[in-house]
Amino acid sequence: MTWHVSEEDLRAYARGELAPPVLWSADAHLTACAQCRGVLADVSDPVALDAGWERLDAELDAPRLGLFESLLVRIGVADHTARLLAATPVLRGSWLGSVVAVLVMTVVVANSRPDAGTPTLFLALAPLLPLAGVALSYGPALDPTYEMAVVSPTHGFRLLMIRTVAVLVAGLGLNGLATLALPEYGLRALAWLLPALALTATGLALTPRLGPVLAPALVGGSWVALLLTADALRAADGDPLAPFTAAGQGVAAAVAALAAGLLFLLRDRFDLFNGSAA
Amino acid sequence: MTPTVSASGLSLRYGGTRALDDVSLRLTRGVTGLLGPNGAGKTTLLRVLATAVPPDRGAFTVLGHDPATSRGRQDVRRSLGYLPQTPGFHPDFTAFEFVDYVAILKELTDRGARHREVRRVLEEVDLGDVRGRRIKRLSGGMRQRVALAAALVGDPGFLVLDEPTVGLDPEQRMRFRELIAQAGEGRTVLLSTHQTEDVAMLCNRVVVLAGGQVRFDGTPAELTARAAGQVWSSTERDPGALAGWRTGTGSFRNLGDPPTGADLLEPTLEDGYLLTLDGAGAEVAAA
Repeated sequence: MTWHVSEEDLRAYARGELAPPVLWSADAHLTACAQCRGVLADVSDPVALDAGWERLDAELDAPRLGLFESLLVRIGVADHTARLLAATPVLRGSWLGSVVAVLVMTVVVANSRPDAGTPTLFLALAPLLPLAGVALSYGPALDPTYEMAVVSPTHGFRLLMIRTVAVLVAGLGLNGLATLALPEYGLRALAWLLPALALTATGLALTPRLGPVLAPALVGGSWVALLLTADALRAADGDPLAPFTAAGQGVAAAVAALAAGLLFLLRDRFDLFNGSAA
Repeated sequence: MTPTVSASGLSLRYGGTRALDDVSLRLTRGVTGLLGPNGAGKTTLLRVLATAVPPDRGAFTVLGHDPATSRGRQDVRRSLGYLPQTPGFHPDFTAFEFVDYVAILKELTDRGARHREVRRVLEEVDLGDVRGRRIKRLSGGMRQRVALAAALVGDPGFLVLDEPTVGLDPEQRMRFRELIAQAGEGRTVLLSTHQTEDVAMLCNRVVVLAGGQVRFDGTPAELTARAAGQVWSSTERDPGALAGWRTGTGSFRNLGDPPTGADLLEPTLEDGYLLTLDGAGAEVAAA
């Protein structure tokens, strides 16, 4: 053995007060180190020691965390929250890969027309990605454990928010990275952010009434229709579309705030089954 | 005996369909079978009692908790184990990880205590040896046992099982029946099933649901007794019978009002069930 668990950590271990990830290291080490087990026996009272062995036994049964869960725990996410996030359908390589592919494509298009005043295709598509990601992370159509989750004591809105925040962090983060690849547009390239929040919040707020498929589809469709209308109405080709102007950004912020408020008022509706009748 | 579940006048419509119509029930300890044809409202009733769907009318309590309020609903859910008709899994999870996930949903956040509970329920359904295997590599029967283990997390007082034996081969079905019988010791189990054999082997009580209404509520023996004197044998299918089918011996087993001098047979639970459905206007001849 090249290292041993310190006596202080062993005392904390015996009291059940050693926190992860040091706890897990101690668990793994104690199975292989007779010397540390001997020290542990000296610093523990017998009852606490038995409880510790029982816990160790259970820990050894637990499979190793996957890469994604391990990463979350390492950055400080509680292990039970990490497990809930690992079960989020869209937090997978395939979805994230698709988002990256779309963003790369739109960035390439935007950079191929450096004379354009606004990266319109990028700004049009970027808000739809978080909307779709959140929509795909919750609901009977895509979450295989949805029915079990609904009748669990964990409030449906809490589960929704945990997943929404995670998907938004991933989605907005990727959008942000894509924005950095468009330096010549300056702050105009960030005009996707408020529409993204507005669309996502509106999609969620409409879900209790329209369902987890129709609501985001309707919101996404409305966004596309709005952009087409704005395109038809703009005065000159070089002008930004109305949603990407200062006034449009203000409207998006107001819609996001209103939708977030409505979502909060409707939070109990996420605690009930929202699927087809049997 | 104090009922675990007490329901009165439960009604629910889906669009134009009356899925539940004035259903009243009292469930006590032991396994209660919920029999009924497709579309009878079994799954809807289970979802209502599991607090997934609120009824349009009527009320119920589970272990004294009223799910009409948000607080009461959470209390009911803390006492509930639920195995849906088609339990879904995250296929990349191992059996342990999946049950661990459900345990977290059931508010077991302390890692050590949760892992001990996960191990306990997996041992209870005889899956201790495959706990590290990915669910997509398990057989259908094993997956069903994983779902049962998830339902058993937290030792719930009220266990709701929606057609858990569907799709299992006879050996798996028998093994699963043993597990349900074991789970029914000391708690209240509501078992929805198409199979009268499940009820005959497992249940101390049976409820027949048809058209969203309770058509029978009693013991399996009482349901069987409903067919006494209404089952007879003949060499040809009796045109006056409500239902009749050729048996393995070559003779016909008929249900209904027997003709004079008919060769009466000992009724089975299935005979009682089919005659009860006929009284409810259901299609018995198809049986």
